[in-house]
Amino acid sequence: MLTSIVSISLGAILTNNFIFSQFLGCCPFLGCSSKVDTATGMGLAVVFVMGLASAICWVIDTYILVPLGLAFLETLVFILVIAALVQFVEMFLKKSVPSLYSALGIYLPLITTNCAVLGVVLLNVQNNYNFLEAVVYGITGGLGFMLAIVLFASVRERIQFADYPENFEGFSICLISAGLVALAFMGFSGMKIV
Amino acid sequence: MNKILKLALILFMISAIVAGVLGVVNELTKDRIWEINNQKTIEAFALVLPADSYTEVDFDKVAYPAVDNVNKADGGEGYVVQETVSGAQGMITLVVGVDSDYRCSGISIIEHSETSGLGANAASSSEIGQNFRAQFIGEDENIALTKAGGNIDALAGATITSRAVTSAVATAIQVAKSVA
Amino acid sequence: MNIKKQFVEGLTTNNPVLVQQIGMCATMAITTTLFNGVGMGLSVLIILTCCNVVVSAIRKIIPDEIRLAIFVVVIAGFVTIVDLLLQAFIPALSEALGVFIPLIVVNCIIIGRAEAFCQKNPVGASFFDGIFQGLGYTCVLILMCVFREFFGSGRFGGGLIDVANGFRFTLDGTGSGIQIFPSDYGASILNLPFGGFITLGLLLAVMQYALKKSAKKKELAERAAAEAAALAEKEADE
Repeated sequence: MLTSIVSISLGAILTNNFIFSQFLGCCPFLGCSSKVDTATGMGLAVVFVMGLASAICWVIDTYILVPLGLAFLETLVFILVIAALVQFVEMFLKKSVPSLYSALGIYLPLITTNCAVLGVVLLNVQNNYNFLEAVVYGITGGLGFMLAIVLFASVRERIQFADYPENFEGFSICLISAGLVALAFMGFSGMKIV
Repeated sequence: MNKILKLALILFMISAIVAGVLGVVNELTKDRIWEINNQKTIEAFALVLPADSYTEVDFDKVAYPAVDNVNKADGGEGYVVQETVSGAQGMITLVVGVDSDYRCSGISIIEHSETSGLGANAASSSEIGQNFRAQFIGEDENIALTKAGGNIDALAGATITSRAVTSAVATAIQVAKSVA
Repeated sequence: MNIKKQFVEGLTTNNPVLVQQIGMCATMAITTTLFNGVGMGLSVLIILTCCNVVVSAIRKIIPDEIRLAIFVVVIAGFVTIVDLLLQAFIPALSEALGVFIPLIVVNCIIIGRAEAFCQKNPVGASFFDGIFQGLGYTCVLILMCVFREFFGSGRFGGGLIDVANGFRFTLDGTGSGIQIFPSDYGASILNLPFGGFITLGLLLAVMQYALKKSAKKKELAERAAAEAAALAEKEADE
């Protein structure tokens, strides 16, 4: 049990990092990584929503969709759950934890279309995870996303001062540097628990 | 309040229509999808250990969590073990044939999401894939990669996938011994 | 809106990936063999066209406040239909693309086009917009697949073309492709995630170069025309 949790966590954060090895969540990764501050905010919001979404979608899938033979509605139901969840989280934070809201608020609406969130709940189903495993995968997957985006934001802050051919301006140079960071992350792929 | 109710109703109606359409499509494709998946498993079983039919037997799920099911080949000539193990990119589902001497009689990978051109070669019908899988035939439970002192050559650039498959074969032989 | 202009926009000047820079996750993830690229591209094309038509048809009856939710429901519906059909009829493709088929739901291209185009345009124009934007997306995928396959493993058309028993197209993904040089000499790192990032980065740079060049050419031509006109005016004055 413990080994499976540890191996899921290590996999989600390092070896099978959502961005650098599975390409899930690249849009916000490139869109929100120009500053370390914004990257941290986005990362935190993603950890929060991915953990919650994993838990809720797992319960809905296991106790409602599968028993009723409605597994084909998974994609539709999951995306609606995520959209509604994001709305609720936003309203809840605004009312009860304004300080957190002011930090995360603007990133929340963007998360609905973050494919890492829908990806993690679909992968939970595909990998037949139990409740605990699903939640751990959601949270650690989010942490992996956060690690990637914060690391990359600090790389990008330096790119601003770098001298590169003008045609590489914008996303082009970002993608190439992201590729180099991905290359570094490949070093983790030798790690394995059990 | 009335406005919100109206919006909710519209959203609900559209969702209901979409769900209805999906239900119809699902009804039409369900049998075919089931058949395809079933066919794949039957073919894999026949490939690793040919027999007229297979009977599922009980095994210790706690000791062997990766094992999905163990099937005895009718006639008492060994077992076919289906397992789901984690590879480099995701889960790998494979079947392993174990003959009456508890040696591997063949492997077949049913499902995987390994890197195309590297780990995916383990499952491919190409020459590389066939040579890789052929290495396992005749191995016993002490099977290991060349790097670890055994005689299975890992796929180029896919040590993790190769290691996952190798340890799956060892597990299959152990579980076959445990139910015998 | 004329069709020719939409065609040019979809393929080049307003290409979803290279210019609008959206929908990049799948672009980088699945472009390892031509089979995956063509399959993904066509799936998106079909879903995009269907969603465009439906969204455009119902654009007048959906309330503005919940339009995004309705778009998402419609998109998820079509994505699931395509997913089920692929599982039933082209299982090899559904296996190769895995989770990226259901993830088309959150592909920004589709919701982006619904929001930016179909809301304001009639069904006909939306239909062609779907086709051409889809084609633009497919072309980028094919370009990336060809590049990564060739330099990564020395092959062309993996999964889609089989040359073992004469030239033929394989729709079940079993074709081994045309081996151009031995795969041992390929830079197999291009098959890894790193290759996806680098290839798309280079492609974007090439596109920016091309767009800049054509803009400059246009500017020069305009300036020349303006000068000529001014000269003609001057001469006429004298």
